[in-house]
Amino acid sequence: MKKIYFILGVALMVAVGGCKKYIDVNYDPNRPIDVKESLMLSPIEMLISQNINASGDANLSVVLQQYLQVMALNQVAPNFGTYQMYNVDMDGDWNNVYVRTLNNLNLLKAKALTNGNSKYSAIAKILTAYTLGYATDAWGDIPYSKAFLGVEVPNPTYDSQQQIYTEIQSLLDDGIADIASDAGLPPGSDDYIYGGDMAKWKALAYTLKARYYMHLTKAPGTTAVAQAQLALTALTNGMQSNSDDAKIAFSGAAGAENPWQQNFLPGTTFVLANTFVDGFAARKDPRLSKMVSPAVQTGLYTGRQIGLDEIGSLESYSIPANFYAGADANNYLVNYTEALFLKAEATLIISGATEAQPIYQDGIRQHMTKVGLGTADINTYLGSRGTLTSANALGLIMEEKSIANFLNPENYTDWRRTGFPVLTKVKNALSEIPRRVLYPNSEITANPQPQQTAKITDRLWWDVDK
Amino acid sequence: MGKLKLTLFTLAMFCFMQMYGQTSQISGKVTDELGRAIPGVSVKLKGTSMGVSTDSQGMFLIKGPNPSVLILSGIGFRSSEIVYNGQRNIVVVLTEDQQSLNEVVVTALGVKRDKRNLTYSSQEVKGDQITQSKEPNLVNALAGKVSGVQITSSSGTPGSSSRIVIRGANSLYGNNEALMVIDGIPVNNDETGNLNSGPGTNRIADLDPNIIESINVLKGGAATALYGSDGAKGVIIITTKAGSQNKKPTLSFSSSLSMEEPLLPEIQNKYSLGSNGVYFDGVTQKTSTSWGAQMDTLKINGLPAKVYDQSSLFFKTGKTYTNTLGISGGGAFSSYYLSFTNLTQDGTVPSTSFDRNTLFGKFSTQIVKDLNITFSLNYANTKNRRLPEGYALESPVWTIFTAPVSYDLQPSVNADGTQRLYRFSRNNPYWVLDNISNTSIVNRFLPTFTADYKVADWLTITERFGADVFVEQGKYNELLGSVSNPNGRIVNNNTNFRQYNNDFLINANKTFGDFNVEALFGNNMISTYSENSYANGLGITIPGFNNIGSTSTVKFSEGSYLTRKIGFYLQSNIDYKRFLILSLTGRYDGTSVLARDNSFYPYGSAATSFIFSNFFSKGLSNVMNFGKLRFSYSTVGNASIGPYSLLTPYESQTVRNISFPYQGQSGFLLSGTLSDPNLKNERINEFEVGLETGFFRNRLGLELTYFDKKTKNGIIPSVALAPSTGFNSTSVNSASMQNRGFEALLNAKPVVTENFSWDLTFNFSRIRNKVLSIYKDINQVGNGFTFIFVNQPYGVIYGTRYARNAAGKLLTDDNGLPYSADEQGIVGDINPDWMAGIVNNFKYKQFTMSFAFDMKKGGDIQNNVDGYGYFYGTPKVTEDRGSRVVDGINATTGQPNAVAVLGQAYYQRLNSILESVIQDGTYVKLRNLSLGYNLNPRWLKKTSFKNLGLQVTGRNLWIYAPHFTGGDPEVSSFGSSNGAQGIYSFSTPTSRSVDFTLKLTL
Repeated sequence: MKKIYFILGVALMVAVGGCKKYIDVNYDPNRPIDVKESLMLSPIEMLISQNINASGDANLSVVLQQYLQVMALNQVAPNFGTYQMYNVDMDGDWNNVYVRTLNNLNLLKAKALTNGNSKYSAIAKILTAYTLGYATDAWGDIPYSKAFLGVEVPNPTYDSQQQIYTEIQSLLDDGIADIASDAGLPPGSDDYIYGGDMAKWKALAYTLKARYYMHLTKAPGTTAVAQAQLALTALTNGMQSNSDDAKIAFSGAAGAENPWQQNFLPGTTFVLANTFVDGFAARKDPRLSKMVSPAVQTGLYTGRQIGLDEIGSLESYSIPANFYAGADANNYLVNYTEALFLKAEATLIISGATEAQPIYQDGIRQHMTKVGLGTADINTYLGSRGTLTSANALGLIMEEKSIANFLNPENYTDWRRTGFPVLTKVKNALSEIPRRVLYPNSEITANPQPQQTAKITDRLWWDVDK
Repeated sequence: MGKLKLTLFTLAMFCFMQMYGQTSQISGKVTDELGRAIPGVSVKLKGTSMGVSTDSQGMFLIKGPNPSVLILSGIGFRSSEIVYNGQRNIVVVLTEDQQSLNEVVVTALGVKRDKRNLTYSSQEVKGDQITQSKEPNLVNALAGKVSGVQITSSSGTPGSSSRIVIRGANSLYGNNEALMVIDGIPVNNDETGNLNSGPGTNRIADLDPNIIESINVLKGGAATALYGSDGAKGVIIITTKAGSQNKKPTLSFSSSLSMEEPLLPEIQNKYSLGSNGVYFDGVTQKTSTSWGAQMDTLKINGLPAKVYDQSSLFFKTGKTYTNTLGISGGGAFSSYYLSFTNLTQDGTVPSTSFDRNTLFGKFSTQIVKDLNITFSLNYANTKNRRLPEGYALESPVWTIFTAPVSYDLQPSVNADGTQRLYRFSRNNPYWVLDNISNTSIVNRFLPTFTADYKVADWLTITERFGADVFVEQGKYNELLGSVSNPNGRIVNNNTNFRQYNNDFLINANKTFGDFNVEALFGNNMISTYSENSYANGLGITIPGFNNIGSTSTVKFSEGSYLTRKIGFYLQSNIDYKRFLILSLTGRYDGTSVLARDNSFYPYGSAATSFIFSNFFSKGLSNVMNFGKLRFSYSTVGNASIGPYSLLTPYESQTVRNISFPYQGQSGFLLSGTLSDPNLKNERINEFEVGLETGFFRNRLGLELTYFDKKTKNGIIPSVALAPSTGFNSTSVNSASMQNRGFEALLNAKPVVTENFSWDLTFNFSRIRNKVLSIYKDINQVGNGFTFIFVNQPYGVIYGTRYARNAAGKLLTDDNGLPYSADEQGIVGDINPDWMAGIVNNFKYKQFTMSFAFDMKKGGDIQNNVDGYGYFYGTPKVTEDRGSRVVDGINATTGQPNAVAVLGQAYYQRLNSILESVIQDGTYVKLRNLSLGYNLNPRWLKKTSFKNLGLQVTGRNLWIYAPHFTGGDPEVSSFGSSNGAQGIYSFSTPTSRSVDFTLKLTL
């Protein structure tokens, strides 16, 4: 009997050896283990356009447009527009920013460094700075220096917003230096934003430097004059014309639509808010028909009031016109006009309203040209807007900037920094106008950090009430 | 023996007819196997109404012709027929009818065992009970019949999936549904076939219930350990019908027609489209809400408003035709069984259907002495047409349940060809019927081959090979003009699935003195391959031409996987004097999906049965004739993870509406799930104790089982990581979960006489599940529509809840409305407190009647039909829409709320509070009521028919669900997956049906 067990045992061991081979088939035929830089750049840029800039699979950017009273949901209160928010509402955004975009940018950066492809590493750094800026202006303190390490660091502590701002500037400086070193493979059609034109990437990097300097005009330990001076210096290498705009073009064919067109499809029930639409009439702004579509039902330019207790007929409201939200519209991420208005604001701080006037007017002119208006319209409008004075300059600059930056999350930062364009809280508001957003539930449950108790009415580090 | 009986019987009949008129005194005695007299046995002359009973000495005396046939029947004994041809003092020995307790049941790996000796719980359901339920899907046919088993159907669309879970969920994210095994071969029961929102079909629906001889449900680890890791979820052993040797061909035919009416949620029909009591016509004023004018006083163009009962206009009577033709028989060395069934089912939603053609053949033959082979082939051709369900923009049921009663939804298009809509953002449901289709066609082959070689009378070698091969062609068309895809969309989805299974078994059975030893040694190899190609075409360029090649953008993707598993197993059953049985099982499994160092793992079970009734005195045996105690412990490994889950790969990207490759560029990014390269198997440890009893010669049987099982090292393929780690999830081996339960099964035969009999089966189960740990400090993970929390049952509903004060009293805002608390919380538990079912069968002469009730206590349901309906003003409850003061405390003042609000404001507020639509799913259901009549065989004597029967069956004729306002509390709208449970959300309603069946046997 023992012998039988022995034989069986031996047979089993032999069999198990063969069996190991039989079951050695776990090789993935569907997903590669490594890819080159050019295959990563395209989807990263698309994530920034469709998801981060336009809230794909998430909420943040359209929430900010509701806080700005540019967009309104054709639903009853309470909703985002009346400042209702749960932590879980930010899960999708944090996933877009950290998992899909920043983690892959981090990989792209490392890969490009290893392979000596400095143009890719430059782009990766500039886009990292852009994305970090978007995130920190929404959430304040955010993870970066301890982030992206998987289970090795399962609970990354958050960097202070000040550290993030330092990091943004150093990423942009490094990116500019990488462009200068001009080594390795050149990006081409995989770069939807600039088609591999590194001069344009450089101009973008400098413009972003100016943007993030200007964000800190009120921040503790800074002075407006010093920040403005830094911005002006950076802008000398910044964008020089509308053709420098960081944007992604869409053909408009099925499966190739502008994301804002998607945001205003009937299923979303998003329309424009009355605050924004009515502003055109108040300014006698000829851009109305270029930027806003009349309501299908009435032919009138009508925005919906946020916070109403009942829903209205969807087609009785306006949505954006084709220039910004047609299926084949460009999605504008960073505009040349922003560079001009940054320059106007910085000049206002350093040299006063009179010096700022021509730059401010150039900003308006460039934007009106871009949306397709002629010189006569432009001159009439510029005339009607009058001259900048020390009393009205900041308001006018920021108001015009917000129109030229239509649908851009940057407007929410500008409103918090400057209080312009002036907003009053909406009907049925659950609180004052938010000054930040909540941390996501996905972080709170998996990585508890002291910052996560923040409420939407709290102010960020740079958002000093002075 | 059968042949002999037949011959004798025929001979007797012959004689009976020839010599009718000669009467004799027939006398005799009836005894049991031990020679003891049996009083009260009925003795009848066959073919007449004459009969007597035996006296206290077991003696009888009856007048009858010579020759004649006597039928003897007594309670607790098998009835017997004897031929009288003049013999004196006949002695008839009746054998005890041990029925269920002496049954032979098919256990793991197709091994037949005496149920008496089993050391674990199993419950058998006979094929006729399956077909009697008239459910096209086998899983639904088991509902309410088996203790410890929970079945949840998904939707009333023909062919929709149903979930079957035995003894609660074991795995947080792995498949928790029972393994399906047909004639020893594991088969695929995945849910497939839906290319839009809603459930698909669980693939066991390809099986024709008419070919089932019996189903045995193996519940615990001790019963299923031989199936390896796949059996950890419980096993449904399906045995198909077979022919029998030395039997003339028997032809059977059955035809049935069933008519189905949908079980609808409660919808109001008193108020029109509109808002705040104002009527909107849906043409010049559009809105989605039905908070308009009162219909009975509303005038439109001066005429009283017409009420459109949208559900009754939209749904139609579903019809199911089933025709089955079977032939069976056999010669001296072989037997055959052939069956063809056509099922044609048209759903209650127009354009939905499920058509199934199944051909099954089984052939067994003895090639040489002691070598038997059996070959069978099951072919199924299944075509399912369904529509999107749930709250997809394309779902027609959504727009019917929330449509205003004042608006005629037809025609669905305007003169210019655009959709006619009373509201935006949703398709007209009639437009959907004409323009959206979702079709799945499956061709499936299940061949099995078995060879048994009896080396010696104590040793058998079995080789069994089986395959499961199917191809599924899926196509989804959404034509131009849809609200969600205005440019149109076409999807082609093709799946090739093949699974090969091989078992080689050596089975020895030998008696040594008082010991009987049964030993089994075997090897199993299973290989599964699936390949899928998916093409998504956007932008239809040629209206009316639905070929994906003509769409403007096509995204194509392919995916395939191969998994293999190999196992060695050993089982021994040692039986001492037929009262003490010890059963030991060991298995060593290797699986391709785990890390190479962890790919092999052992497990096993030990179980014992003690049949204590063997020691009973005779007096006690007369009351309690059977008693068995059994204990078992098992530890089973389970690799509940998909293939290729050990490395973190790059994935082709779809970013919102943009799919790569895009504009000539491919796009790949790192997966958001960080894989653990060292994953090992999870483990399920289970302890089971059971008591099986039989009373009054098995007129009453009671089985009680308690089990306690724990999942350890549970695999979570995607436990949440903080996104700041760069990943949103990782795979871990850290979950643990516990299921404890009690099961009871009662069989009784209160009345057994020759003309009238009644038997009933009652089952009860109570399972308590608790998640013990997830991963490190994490105490919450999402799971589809539900959540998993530590220290909560598996599957709780989490979301917005009412703001309440410390005393639990509802808070209201200054407008007098309740509002949601700042923090979300657990608002429901989808697990039932207990479930029970009772099946009754009556027989009176040629008539049969049966009915089955089942009941579920508790189990919360998220009723989204009400949830969204509160916003629209469509649920019945919103008919009461006048002013009210919500019973609550004003949050600002702390005083009782005194502000009155209108129904519209109140319900639209509830719409944002999930807790308001969590309903207790308790129900009692008359699942099945069936009446049958079999023609008296005497009337058929001169025809070639052996049997002719008629049956009428009603399903779901009565449902009592006191807290649930939807149509059927038994459904989960989004299919059979773990995360799709406990939600009722605009799925096609399930049905109440009446079925007529005619059965013929030739």
